[in-house]
Amino acid sequence: MKLDPEERWRLIDRVARETVEYGAERSTIGSVLAELTVKPLTGIPFAFAVLYGFWGFFDAFAGFFTDGFFVPLFDDHWLPWIQEAFPLKGSWLYYVLVGDPEAVNSFEALGMLTSGFFVAIGVVLPAIVAFYLVITILEDSGYMPRLAVLVDTVLHKIGLHGFAVVPMILSLGCNVPGVASTRTLETKKQRFMIMILLSVFIPCGAQLGVMLSLIPEYFGYIMIYLVTGFFVFGWVLNKLLPGRSPEIITDVPPLRTPTIANVSRKLWVKVKGFFTNAIPFVLLGVGLVNLLYLGGVISWIANSLEPLFTGWFGIPKETVAPLIAGFLRKDLAVAQLSAIDMSGFQLITSVVIISIYFPCIATFSMIIKEGRKSGGVIRVLGGGLLTLVTVVFLWGGLLHLIGILLGVT
Amino acid sequence: MAILLMGHPNVGKSAVFNRLTGANITESNYPGTTVDFTEGYTYIDGKEYKVIDVPGTFSTDPKDEAEKVALDILAEHEDPIVLVVIDSTKIERGLYLAFEIMERGYKVMIALNMWDDAEKHDLSIDVDQLEEILGVPVVPTVAISGKGISTLVENVPTASRVDIERLREKITSL
Repeated sequence: MKLDPEERWRLIDRVARETVEYGAERSTIGSVLAELTVKPLTGIPFAFAVLYGFWGFFDAFAGFFTDGFFVPLFDDHWLPWIQEAFPLKGSWLYYVLVGDPEAVNSFEALGMLTSGFFVAIGVVLPAIVAFYLVITILEDSGYMPRLAVLVDTVLHKIGLHGFAVVPMILSLGCNVPGVASTRTLETKKQRFMIMILLSVFIPCGAQLGVMLSLIPEYFGYIMIYLVTGFFVFGWVLNKLLPGRSPEIITDVPPLRTPTIANVSRKLWVKVKGFFTNAIPFVLLGVGLVNLLYLGGVISWIANSLEPLFTGWFGIPKETVAPLIAGFLRKDLAVAQLSAIDMSGFQLITSVVIISIYFPCIATFSMIIKEGRKSGGVIRVLGGGLLTLVTVVFLWGGLLHLIGILLGVT
Repeated sequence: MAILLMGHPNVGKSAVFNRLTGANITESNYPGTTVDFTEGYTYIDGKEYKVIDVPGTFSTDPKDEAEKVALDILAEHEDPIVLVVIDSTKIERGLYLAFEIMERGYKVMIALNMWDDAEKHDLSIDVDQLEEILGVPVVPTVAISGKGISTLVENVPTASRVDIERLREKITSL
């Protein structure tokens, strides 16, 4: 038998009156802080402080382990040792596994056992640990929905609402869970928009780690350009796409102290996932690119795409190799740029292109999986590719134009 | 036999799930952490139960994809036990979902989770009376610390269907 909602509430009210007694609400430090973090006047400065703190920690932690420990370990010990110890110098196997026998730093050697290990363990692992340590604390403390409430107004301008900030932030760690978490958004339009926007414009934690280690001086410019792109194309998509963008009513949970047990458990799951899912892909990517080099495929593609690369984007044609690696891992793609001779502005452009040209294969398969639930695979992929091609040409080309106007190309 | 953990977003279903099955799925303090279901197994009195952590849902009337997943799971299982997880500080709306599920004729039991929060807010709930009125097991729990979980487990075999007609009469005559 079914009750109508009104009667259901009447009965529940009655039950609650009989069994529940409410005490006086007291304010505690926790509840005061909980209030302050959602009120715009205090909440927005607080949010900036939190994000700045997040960034500061990420930078310091990853920098400490990468520059302070892994760079000397790999460059001074591992690299020279394996260059000498590995037999068959000059053979294709040596080239694939060790790479350049003369290289003096691990970014530029480009072998599976040299650059592959270095990028995966020396650069990306510290970044992943730092990122998820902070994100887990933010999640467990209950800060995420507070941030969602604060950015709600801004995201409404591009047809999304506050909770779209959760996929956005998760994507800064890895785009795959970012895409998965779009499922909590209500309409197909919102899901499509955020899925495409984040997989195009939001670089993942692994890529951030490599950027930070390789080109810290250009990091800010690249991020600003990508975030601007996110909002510009978000605005355009919102205008073009049919569908609703509803308001949300959400619960803001109380602030809680994260428990060490839960934080370390989540961190462990992420690190384990990194070893089993990410490292094989990094190594595979290095190996694949090296084989394609040896087979002449890379130079063939590079030569045929040269007009596009040098003419439209203003970057060297050799960038094609990192872009191929980027299908597997974006972090690897950025790392491989280090071996190509180019100007600072070209480097910025290349990193932007690597970020936006296509999602990595893991994200791509997640989009296919989620697309089924968000209006059909064909529609999501079709719309997604169309958006993607437009974005790459316009946003990539625009950057070249900016370079020309600034006279830095 | 299947035990489905159902309840609003962010009431601690995943934490209860981890406690029941010894699994390691993600728990976070914001709604929408679980968007797909997770299965695990637990043994109670030598009997194997499949435990499913269902995405959070406000009512049996779905509003987004994660809620649709929740209802599909409910429909898929034959005669499951539905363990409704309720945030003790928001008991009324938790009961609303519990009522909806009871009306559909499922075997139900209730975990009043975040019991420590209720205590902190000086909220007192007469669990025995609530259990008596509803006619299903009601157990206070603090899933993140494990408090109340063993009582919850002991009560699984006593989860029961509710005759809504009689429940209505009983409540009206209180």
